[in-house]
Amino acid sequence: MVIRKAGSEVTAVSSCLTGSCCCCLSTSSSQRTSVSRNFFFFIIIIIVFICLSLFRLSSSMSMYQVKPICGGDIKIDLPTCMYKLANIHAQQGTGCNPEHALQNGEVDPAVKALEARQNEIMRKLYELKAAVEGLAKTVTTPDADLDLTVSSSLSSQSSSSTTFKGTTDLDTQLGKDHGALRDIVVNANPAHPPLTLLVLHSLLSQRYRVLSTVHVHSSVAGVPPQLLSCLGPRHADSYARQMFQLGFTLIWKDVPKVEMKFSIQNMCPIKGEANVARFLFKLLAPYPSDPALATLVDSWVDTAFFQLLDGSAKERAAVLRALNSALGRNPWLAGPDVSLADITCYCCVLQSGSVSSAPANVQRWLKSCENLGYFGPAKLLLQ
Amino acid sequence: MTKEGVQGATEDEQQAQSKKALKKQQKEAEKAAKKAEKQAKLATEQQSTEEDDFAKDRYGVSAMVQSQEKLDRALVRVQDLTPEKADQLIWLRARIHTSRAKGKQCFLVLRQQQFNVQALVAVGDCASKQMVKFAANITKESIVDVEALVRKVEQKIESCSQQDVELHIERIFVISQAEPRLPLQLDDAVRPDGEGEEEGRATVNQDTKLDNRVIDLRTTTSQAIFRLQSGVCQLFRDTLTKKGFVEIQTPKIISAASEGGANVFTVSYFKTSAYLAQSPQLYKQMCICADFDKVFCVGPVFRAEDSNTHRHLTEFVGLDIELAFNYHYHEVIDSITDTMVQIFKGLRDNFQTEIQTVNKQFPSEPFKFLEPTLRLEYTEAVAMLREAGVEMGDEDDLSTPNEKLLGRLVKEKYDTDFYVLDKYPLAVRPFYTMPDPNNPKYSNSYDMFMRGEEILSGAQRIHNAQLLTERAIHHQIDLEKIKAYIDSFRYGAPPHGGGGIGLERVCMLYLGLHNVRQTSMFPRDPKRLTP
Repeated sequence: MVIRKAGSEVTAVSSCLTGSCCCCLSTSSSQRTSVSRNFFFFIIIIIVFICLSLFRLSSSMSMYQVKPICGGDIKIDLPTCMYKLANIHAQQGTGCNPEHALQNGEVDPAVKALEARQNEIMRKLYELKAAVEGLAKTVTTPDADLDLTVSSSLSSQSSSSTTFKGTTDLDTQLGKDHGALRDIVVNANPAHPPLTLLVLHSLLSQRYRVLSTVHVHSSVAGVPPQLLSCLGPRHADSYARQMFQLGFTLIWKDVPKVEMKFSIQNMCPIKGEANVARFLFKLLAPYPSDPALATLVDSWVDTAFFQLLDGSAKERAAVLRALNSALGRNPWLAGPDVSLADITCYCCVLQSGSVSSAPANVQRWLKSCENLGYFGPAKLLLQ
Repeated sequence: MTKEGVQGATEDEQQAQSKKALKKQQKEAEKAAKKAEKQAKLATEQQSTEEDDFAKDRYGVSAMVQSQEKLDRALVRVQDLTPEKADQLIWLRARIHTSRAKGKQCFLVLRQQQFNVQALVAVGDCASKQMVKFAANITKESIVDVEALVRKVEQKIESCSQQDVELHIERIFVISQAEPRLPLQLDDAVRPDGEGEEEGRATVNQDTKLDNRVIDLRTTTSQAIFRLQSGVCQLFRDTLTKKGFVEIQTPKIISAASEGGANVFTVSYFKTSAYLAQSPQLYKQMCICADFDKVFCVGPVFRAEDSNTHRHLTEFVGLDIELAFNYHYHEVIDSITDTMVQIFKGLRDNFQTEIQTVNKQFPSEPFKFLEPTLRLEYTEAVAMLREAGVEMGDEDDLSTPNEKLLGRLVKEKYDTDFYVLDKYPLAVRPFYTMPDPNNPKYSNSYDMFMRGEEILSGAQRIHNAQLLTERAIHHQIDLEKIKAYIDSFRYGAPPHGGGGIGLERVCMLYLGLHNVRQTSMFPRDPKRLTP
């Protein structure tokens, strides 16, 4: 949620920027001073730039020209996290002619350059906004490499398929391994077993060496035996925690919402089954890099939990209709392959008890989900 | 010259003193005379009043109960005074908790253990003015026999445990009188720490309470604490007996120090000296070697540690467990942790009133635990602590602050106050600890923690005489001194492990108290041998 908010703030800033820039550019040829004042009020980067260009204009009128101390074409490896500014010493070569610009009322090339730069900045801002929105869809660890995520979501335009064989690395998702078991703790209320998480757990255990343990917290009196064995039989090596790549500790506890705790030092608990599911799914496969597809997955996940599971009968029927029409066009809900959207929707359809009332396309899709074979834990619990 | 001068001066002084003394004596004599006069007056007054007291035989100080007669009188317990008993005439024995006279009536609060009820003596048909006066003058903490009518009240009496009824006293007899000056007031002793300061009321400090333990133990808080402690013992015994354990008794006077050798009390033993047992471990292990399979014992343990901390006592009650296992020492951990969980569950389900009572004076969060118990490994703990910014080596022992910090971290992540830390470094454990088969740096040993404080330390013991000798030599222990210990493993010994728990510590940490002396009935520490 927080990340989403940040995303919308970026949108607000950028839209306000666009407006101001447009008005500035239309008046810039007649009133240069007002231009610089306006810019000063809106964004710091641009005022710095304006100042620099003004300084350059005035200086070239009243001062002798001096050869640049160093050549303008030195190659420097600049960090990607900064905006590029033109080398001020290399300006002579660009054909900027101050006398000419001043004599006729044409648009100053410097302003043109400014405009170009402006557009460049705007473009980058939009890219940044898109990247942040992409981030908001996925729940990442705070210590995950931000640069990597941004660049990867920006660079790859082609939508890669959401197979579970996608390259994910526990180290990048969960932080460096300090030689201790990385334990994911999930607190769930026995009254509402988180089926999605159980399915994701079984997928995780196919992928990694997962130490799964189930505990009952003292805040609940007792839980049915099938909830105690819902993570499958005990691993034969469970006496040595160091032999596992990942820990999955499920605690049946009196909590209003499913919550997940991983690193208490640099990460707050993740609340809500949908968000925990997003986190766990990221350990299996990266989110689709196509923002539209990622949004689609996200919206299905939210729909599943808020409308299918917690919604009224009316809402549920509406979701089933929506599912039906979506599944009429595609075999799966989002993208060419099974995704988190399918997993959550499947579990929520099952849990809300609307299997029998599901329309034809949904029925067909439920069948093909079952054929995948990893929804066993969810089915087992519902029996 | 100077000597005489000095002498003269002293004489003068003496004279002055004697003058003063004389005056004093005179005054005292006057006082005494006045007092006598007053008393005489009072006596005559009393006599005169007694003459026309119609309720004379309805109150008084009973003769000391020397079992003169066996009355067939049914006494009602205060806790049984419920609205169902309304309008019944009952007999009851209780202590005077407080009394408050108010004109023609006197309100008493009668207490029986942690229960109390309001009682009223009012001038009327069966009570005279003198009787009310008598009731008002009974000293606090005196034991009285009361015959009274149970009455329902319309407004709940907030200050008493029996809120729906009050007693209208018809007869009152003092059975045992308390001295008028109490060394501490019960109300002060149960006042929560912060509250007294604000209202300028007294709180009683720990030492005063311990010095007058008999009165302190009467408080509701103490009553609850020791009822809960008894519950812990009971649950411990019940759970283990159900699991097929055998309770054993071990000697407390021993010839050689059982563990390291330091921290033992020496006692004279006829012509030689002996030691007080530091732990029943050797005897527990010998019982395992003697095929008892699973044993436990509850008994005193002595530690001559001169440490005055909130959690050290020189004598405490040890709850010790030792059992043989089949293939992996985690069987032992599972057995012990399950016992602890059963105890916690029993306390949670059956001792809620006691827990609430203690919480009133010492507020704390309810004790949380997981079933099955969370088990972490030492390396994980070190990683967690390092992540939190603690610098420590892989094989360093946990310091007390680090222990607490780790407890907080574990609580934050897993929300449990009870957990096991497994696989301690071999270097920080005693010589009889079994080394880890996969990593020689670590060992098959574990500690258990409650609210971040260690309550149990245990391990798989070495059951092979040869390996035990090697380890003892490695630790530079005199083999002669532990010969008997090593010898007990020469004739075939099953693999086994165990641990010992301090009863007082368990109670303290379960209730979230801050001093182990509160949960020891008559605590022994380096500075206290009485009462």
